[in-house]
Amino acid sequence: MNSAVLAPAAWRSALDRRLHFVEPGMALWLLLIAALVFLVASPMLRLVVASFQEPESGRFTLANYAQAYGRLSHLRAILNSLELGTGVALLAGIFGVPIAWAISRTDMPAKGFVRLMVFGAFIIPPYLGAIGWILLAGPNAGWLNKVWMALTGASHGIFNVYSMAGLIIVVAVASFPYVFVFTSSALDLVSSEMEDAASILGAGTLRTTFGVTLPLVLPAIIGGLIVSFLEAIALFGAPALIALPARFHVVSTQLWQFFEYPVRVEEAAAYAMPLLAITVLMFALQRSLLGRRGYVAVSGKGGERRMIRLGAWRWAMLGYALAVCLLSVLLPMLVLMQAAFAKAWGRGFALDNLTLANFRYILFEQTQAQQAILNTFLYAGASAFAAIALSLAIAYVVSRKLVPWSNVLALLCMAPFVIPGVVLAIGFYAAYAPPPLALYGSAAIIILGFTTRFLPIAYTASAAGLRSINPEMEEAVRNLGGGRFAAIRTVLAPLLKKSLAGAWILVFIPATRELSSAIFLVGPHTRVISVMLFDLSEEGNFEVLSALGAILLLATIAIAAVSFRIVGRDFMLRGS
Amino acid sequence: MTLVRSGSRREVVSRGSALLALGVAGGLLLPRRARAAHDMSAREQELYAAARKEGELTWYMSHSDDATAQALGRNFEALYPPLKANVVRTTAQVAFQRVSQEIKAGAMQVDVLSTTDIGHYVYLKEKALLEKYVPENASKVLDIYKNYDPDGTFFVTSAGMIAIGYNTARLKEADAPKNWTGLTDPKWKDKIALGHPGFSGYVGTWVVAMRKLYGWQFFESLARNNPQIGRSINDTVTMLNAGERLIAGSGPVSTAMSSAQKGNPLAMIYPIDGTVLIIAPSGIMKGAKHPNAARLFMEYLLSAEASQIWVEHFNESLRPEVTPPPGITSAKDVKTIRPSADEITKGIPEVIKQWRDTFGV
Repeated sequence: MNSAVLAPAAWRSALDRRLHFVEPGMALWLLLIAALVFLVASPMLRLVVASFQEPESGRFTLANYAQAYGRLSHLRAILNSLELGTGVALLAGIFGVPIAWAISRTDMPAKGFVRLMVFGAFIIPPYLGAIGWILLAGPNAGWLNKVWMALTGASHGIFNVYSMAGLIIVVAVASFPYVFVFTSSALDLVSSEMEDAASILGAGTLRTTFGVTLPLVLPAIIGGLIVSFLEAIALFGAPALIALPARFHVVSTQLWQFFEYPVRVEEAAAYAMPLLAITVLMFALQRSLLGRRGYVAVSGKGGERRMIRLGAWRWAMLGYALAVCLLSVLLPMLVLMQAAFAKAWGRGFALDNLTLANFRYILFEQTQAQQAILNTFLYAGASAFAAIALSLAIAYVVSRKLVPWSNVLALLCMAPFVIPGVVLAIGFYAAYAPPPLALYGSAAIIILGFTTRFLPIAYTASAAGLRSINPEMEEAVRNLGGGRFAAIRTVLAPLLKKSLAGAWILVFIPATRELSSAIFLVGPHTRVISVMLFDLSEEGNFEVLSALGAILLLATIAIAAVSFRIVGRDFMLRGS
Repeated sequence: MTLVRSGSRREVVSRGSALLALGVAGGLLLPRRARAAHDMSAREQELYAAARKEGELTWYMSHSDDATAQALGRNFEALYPPLKANVVRTTAQVAFQRVSQEIKAGAMQVDVLSTTDIGHYVYLKEKALLEKYVPENASKVLDIYKNYDPDGTFFVTSAGMIAIGYNTARLKEADAPKNWTGLTDPKWKDKIALGHPGFSGYVGTWVVAMRKLYGWQFFESLARNNPQIGRSINDTVTMLNAGERLIAGSGPVSTAMSSAQKGNPLAMIYPIDGTVLIIAPSGIMKGAKHPNAARLFMEYLLSAEASQIWVEHFNESLRPEVTPPPGITSAKDVKTIRPSADEITKGIPEVIKQWRDTFGV
């Protein structure tokens, strides 16, 4: 009886005690998990649920799956995507691995230039590359084919961009930088001792490279190939430009078709599931490969590294690297610039073909372009700030183990990496476009979508930055009586400035060119350059397209360069 | 978390574009004169006053290429300052896809819809998604463009032709096909460009017309010639200009002639079995955010000013008082054919399926 009377009071004091001990961290944790559920878990859950729902009634059904997979052409699109992904991964390996090896391990000349070109290949959106390649390898009018016909007198060109092979090349030249980055960062850690051992035993450079060096970094190479594969199967823009005239579909273009009238979100959700499953599987495979600790040589930093002397072969190596740069950056950019300043690109490089009319049209005559240009950079900037703020908070909570189960946060943060952009956008559309949130056509839905899409990049960069800072420095602040936020403000923030600026740019650049998730989320007032390019590309108006693409590229490079500069002046973290 | 509310963003954006326009353009574009109040009818004045409170309108438009669409939008802005027209030009089926997405999300973004597939309007009207408004100008257009919907939910606002286009630098007129059936001649293998009925309403209507004339085997023979298939009907003109293909099997007269005027080597053949005449409507969406601006815009689309822009871009004039410049071929100069609204409404979804089976995409 007594206990019953006392119970509420005791309970209350226990609660008081507990609340007293709850650090603000707990509230923060709840806030963060809520944000992640909103951004990541809920749209994906909505997508999975929708795939089992009848469109009107919402009742459980398997009909969406039956319809999505009941047509031969839909199944063929899945096979095409797999072929595309495999082809791109292999070709990206052929492009990326030798260049990474040459830069990291040999005395090949002009490394700085080659590095710059690889970075260039990274910042050119694949759909712009695709337009460049249409101008280069259109079966009759493409520049390469014209040159071929002029040289040989042949009546037909030899290249046809409108084919699976064409699409594979176009996507591979855009995604080999992933293989390059993975491979060269692993090669940078391999010491020369093992190679020395091989050469002492009589192996030549070739044998050493293929027998020792490359096997040591094989997990990293495969990691890069997998990322290229995943990028390729999730891509929407380049396949839409090339696959349609080539008369085939891939999963992403087929998904888009489900949004034709009548809009079949549920069927699209069902059809998106294999893409999601493949991505999750490949990602798991990649993690297990890279996570392996068997390659001791790669995990240590000790040991001397010397550059292999290639002798005359270094020129051959440079030739190969330049050939890849030519295919990925120089040729497509050259023809895009020609088209951007041309009255009609087919008329070639002639003075009387030069004009600024395409830029004037885009900047002043088009009613939408100015706004689209501004939107693009506003949304990309806002998304980059949001993604970094969120991921930094989470990375801090995780690395300092402020709350239990902090790994759940990390996992949710990385989850969007396995969600292809088109699929993510369909999830966002299904979850947040209709009431109660009714975000369709708003800037918010795009910024939220981009934030989610690029959260893994932001998180990886933030976590890496935090790992490099020893917690003892913050502890010193706290020992001297400063609170956690004082420690963050006075110690962490200044130390992290550089890596956060880098992270901001890493999110900002892909966000300026994002097409596959934007295409389902834009309204008439929230159009971005990528979507406008896609709409304009229906008419095949390559001159105007190239001009808009040039504006996108120049502005992106300028903003990235300026933000690098301003970092030194405390721009990025002002007020934090 | 940076959540930008749409109101404040618009402000930032419009101020930004104003700055951009002021700073860089500096009077580069001289707008046509604003419409004086005494030139306006009472209803027009009333609509204009109400529309000014709304400030803008959004127009999904597939009647023409982007250049013509933007010119029409800019001219509206010049006539009725400070109203803004957000012109979103896509192919008909893509425009309708966006509208469907908006209907499904319960957030109508578009005010005036102008597609080239009359079936869209039949469907929207059936679902009570079109607003009834009979423009004053609806009675002032040529008779053939009147009364497509007796209930006043949609009106014909544009007309244009599809013929056979060819690259004059690489093909002599004497060698070009004289009739649609000529396109199936094996000598045109790898030489023909087409649009896609799953995107373009013009192409969809053309396919319905061809199927009616020659049966589906026409397309099976055409498929053997391996045509290049783009999306918009206007893409065929790009393919001719680039020299990628020699013949635009579904050649949009207005886009091709505008392009020829700029110096590109293009000409049209008007087939003996008949040039396909496309009659394309517009309507106001129910629940439009700018209903008065939308009504004013419907009046504008049927006005002599709009017809003037249409003929400058080689489309048909809707108004008797606006005539094309001499030497320009218009629909009254050639034999035209046109499937009925019913045939189009039923036919386009069918031919899209058949097309996908025959051409693979």
